[in-house]
Amino acid sequence: MLFLQLLLNGLQVGAIYALTAAGFALIFGATKIFHVAHGTAFTIAGYVFLFAWRAGWPGWAGAAAAVLAAMAFGVAMERYVYRPIQRHEGSFFTVFVAAFGVGIVVQNVIGMIAGRGFATVDTPLSFSAEILPDVFVAPMLWISLATAAVLFIALTVFLTRHPAGVGLRALSQNPDLVRTYGLSSNGLSVLAFAIGSALAAPAAIVTVMTTGLNEAIGHQVMLISIAATIVGGIGSLRGAALAGMMLGIAESLALQFVDTQWAEAVSFLVLFGFIIFRPSGIFGVVQTR
Amino acid sequence: MTAFLLNLATLAAISGILASTLNFIVGYAGIFSVAHAVFFGLGAYGGAQVALLLVPDPFLACFVAALIAGGLSLCLALPALRVRGEYFVAASLGLQMVAATLFAELKPLTGGIGGLVGIPRPEIFGTVVPVLPLALAALALILFLTARLQRGAFGRTLQSIRDADSAAEALGKNVNAAKTLAVAFACAGAGVAGALYALHLSFINVESFTLDQSIQIMAMVIIGGTGTLWGPLVGAIMLLSLPAVLSFIPFIPPTEVGAVQQIIYGLAMTLLMIFRPAGLVGDQTKGRSTS
Amino acid sequence: MPGPKIGRRGALAAGLALPFIRPAIAQTAEPYVMGSLFPMSGPSAEFGEAFTRGAQVALQHIAADNLLRRPVRLQSEDSQALPQPSVVGMNKLISVDRAHWVLVSWTATSKAVAPIGDRAKTIMVNGGAVGPDLAGLSPYFWNVIALAHLEVQVMVPFLVRQRNARRVALIYVDDPLGDGILGQLRGTLPRHGGELVGSFSVPRAAQQFGPVVARVRQTRPDAVYVASFGAQNAQIVKALRDNGVTQTICSYSAFGIDSLRTMPEAEGALFTSQKLDLTGAHALTSRFATDFRARFGQPPLVYHANYYNAAYLFGLLAKQVETAGGTVNGDSLRAAMLATRKFDLVGGEGEFDEQGNMLTQMQVNEIRGQQFVAIG
Repeated sequence: MLFLQLLLNGLQVGAIYALTAAGFALIFGATKIFHVAHGTAFTIAGYVFLFAWRAGWPGWAGAAAAVLAAMAFGVAMERYVYRPIQRHEGSFFTVFVAAFGVGIVVQNVIGMIAGRGFATVDTPLSFSAEILPDVFVAPMLWISLATAAVLFIALTVFLTRHPAGVGLRALSQNPDLVRTYGLSSNGLSVLAFAIGSALAAPAAIVTVMTTGLNEAIGHQVMLISIAATIVGGIGSLRGAALAGMMLGIAESLALQFVDTQWAEAVSFLVLFGFIIFRPSGIFGVVQTR
Repeated sequence: MTAFLLNLATLAAISGILASTLNFIVGYAGIFSVAHAVFFGLGAYGGAQVALLLVPDPFLACFVAALIAGGLSLCLALPALRVRGEYFVAASLGLQMVAATLFAELKPLTGGIGGLVGIPRPEIFGTVVPVLPLALAALALILFLTARLQRGAFGRTLQSIRDADSAAEALGKNVNAAKTLAVAFACAGAGVAGALYALHLSFINVESFTLDQSIQIMAMVIIGGTGTLWGPLVGAIMLLSLPAVLSFIPFIPPTEVGAVQQIIYGLAMTLLMIFRPAGLVGDQTKGRSTS
Repeated sequence: MPGPKIGRRGALAAGLALPFIRPAIAQTAEPYVMGSLFPMSGPSAEFGEAFTRGAQVALQHIAADNLLRRPVRLQSEDSQALPQPSVVGMNKLISVDRAHWVLVSWTATSKAVAPIGDRAKTIMVNGGAVGPDLAGLSPYFWNVIALAHLEVQVMVPFLVRQRNARRVALIYVDDPLGDGILGQLRGTLPRHGGELVGSFSVPRAAQQFGPVVARVRQTRPDAVYVASFGAQNAQIVKALRDNGVTQTICSYSAFGIDSLRTMPEAEGALFTSQKLDLTGAHALTSRFATDFRARFGQPPLVYHANYYNAAYLFGLLAKQVETAGGTVNGDSLRAAMLATRKFDLVGGEGEFDEQGNMLTQMQVNEIRGQQFVAIG
């Protein structure tokens, strides 16, 4: 029974990881920017939803506002931080440090505005009921799984059918070719940031309702997103989402076998192991270079 | 005022060692590690245990620290031999997270989150000496070695690996050995910094050796300028003294002190990167060379 | 205020000091500096803010009563709850601001700055961290909060007798505090007819507690003791309630903050703290409560009171030193503390032992209708 319970817990955590990781992977795949401020977009979306909820907005309006805020942040990052840096020299870590700085700023501004410490939205959706003896499940589990599935299908359809989506995929495979054919790679980058950041919003909303927020919460999410992107194989959305789900489940199921304090390390052990033994990830093309 | 400045200078020298050694693998060998704090920590624990259990001799502490950190650097060299670029960043990230958990859990060696307290101050021939001259000497030594290695054949091998490692291999360079050696040198240096840090603070715990610390060291290198001799040192002094200088700003309500300082700090990081992407000392005219 | 009056000895000292009075007057305008080293940014900033507020009210009272000849200025430094920024801040407070009295908090900060304060003979007063390893760090390191082992000794009999909760599970962070509480629960529970049915250590940065709670539930506890801090405490409480644990939640003084008080899931949670009766007849306590409410628009909590005491104690001791004609510094303040031992502080009389640990009475609180209610 414990196994089933842990599996269900893992699915809920995994859905959150899968969504944020897919966003990170989309951005990274299309623009080759290691967007460590992805966790910041997550935090912003969470707090916007929190404020909307406290102001008495209906849930859907709050969710829409959160999605818009995350998108606006992502696009602003692309436009005002990443692009000026890449114009000079696209050094991988220059971008990393700049984004890290933005993360610090946003975290502290949120602390000043929203108050420091723990905040949560109180809803019956996160409250578990006993569905089987000793197995507790909250409605939130089904909601987050359904959201993740729907968004993922929508994203896949967009990337394979819509011209802009196809352009994005082309950008991740061969940016020079895209430019040669006269497609605007800048426009596509903005699109990648908008969609990728938007994917963080639903995960953030689920987090507000289940585990609650604090200003520093984006950090953990960012780390998992990076790990999932690598484990899934760089450039593969499907891989990132699956790996996010897998890491969530692994973190949870690990408690069946090890003491609780090791749960967090499990994700990163999986990551380390993948890099040593299967660097191409689950779905990636072999690319050890 | 003097004590305040001396303390800052000591910490700056220690950070300078960290940044210079990290720069050695980042700037010359293209190995982007976000696990440098792990080796800093290994050295700190090693040095602290020497001082606590044997003698507070700084040279012995530094030697043991360098040995431990350099030896365990294989954990970092292994993925460095197999993967490059983002993959390696992620590998070092994994190593950093696992190591931090180990630091927190291996209580007999590290004291866990509670850390090691009462580390004696360093003594040479029975007299207590401040850490600052030791740290400056170590820093000078490391800068000297870096300059020598960089100009020598070893440095050229490393740079050829950074720019095109298959070509380097084709030319008969032993890529694996060169990478392993570079990583061992950098990590041993970080270990020395750790031992000095432990002796200076008299208290260490896992919170000084987390991912945040690793990222801060990386930021020092980038802000100063990768692949330059003095850049990392400039970056280290800058990132260390900035919060200290900010704390002199008057008229901030006491409850907002931290947030205001952090906001300025973060903004400075971002703006520096936007306007001086190659670092303070780096060559700004250089085009899109490193990826 | 039972401060000593200027007696014959004081007059004598004043007379002796007469030739030196000019430089003394020249210094009058220069305020005493009281330092504070709290986490003011990062995940624990909520605590730093609360600590600072308590100290601010104390300084307000010291100024309003003209307790001291010189004004007192609060110099706030951000420790980030990390060792290195704490050390930088402490060195600044001592060597730049010349503070002889520094309010500290947090285990890592306390341990990192204790050697520096010890060398510089600067008094450090902790009113927030409760790790048992904080006693006896230095003769200049004092605690105005009861360290954790006392909290468990009060909570356990209450749980067993009043709530009939015999099976207790513990969720803790494996630091000296959590470890101390684990040891205390192991020892104290059997003596009162209870049992520690499980202990679950969580990493400090963990965010997801659903799986841990599943393990906790398996032990079939009557009560769950939570021993983390900061935002994590609140996250654990929410995870417990969301995942089907309806049993009593209990904890130590770290529950005494607003984010838990106002959290619906924390309703009914028990925690121990120092005795603080705001409605009683004790003059200093009710003055503190009134002025705190007027300034910050909320009733004061235990942490506010602790740092009020930590800061107000400086006023009391410095007044003694001034009256005796001495110079206010770490040694004279410490001598004054050792000579007096008992002080009238918020919450009642506080008595210090030789090491500078304040002994207080404890109470058990319950979170009831978004209020902290003392119940035993």
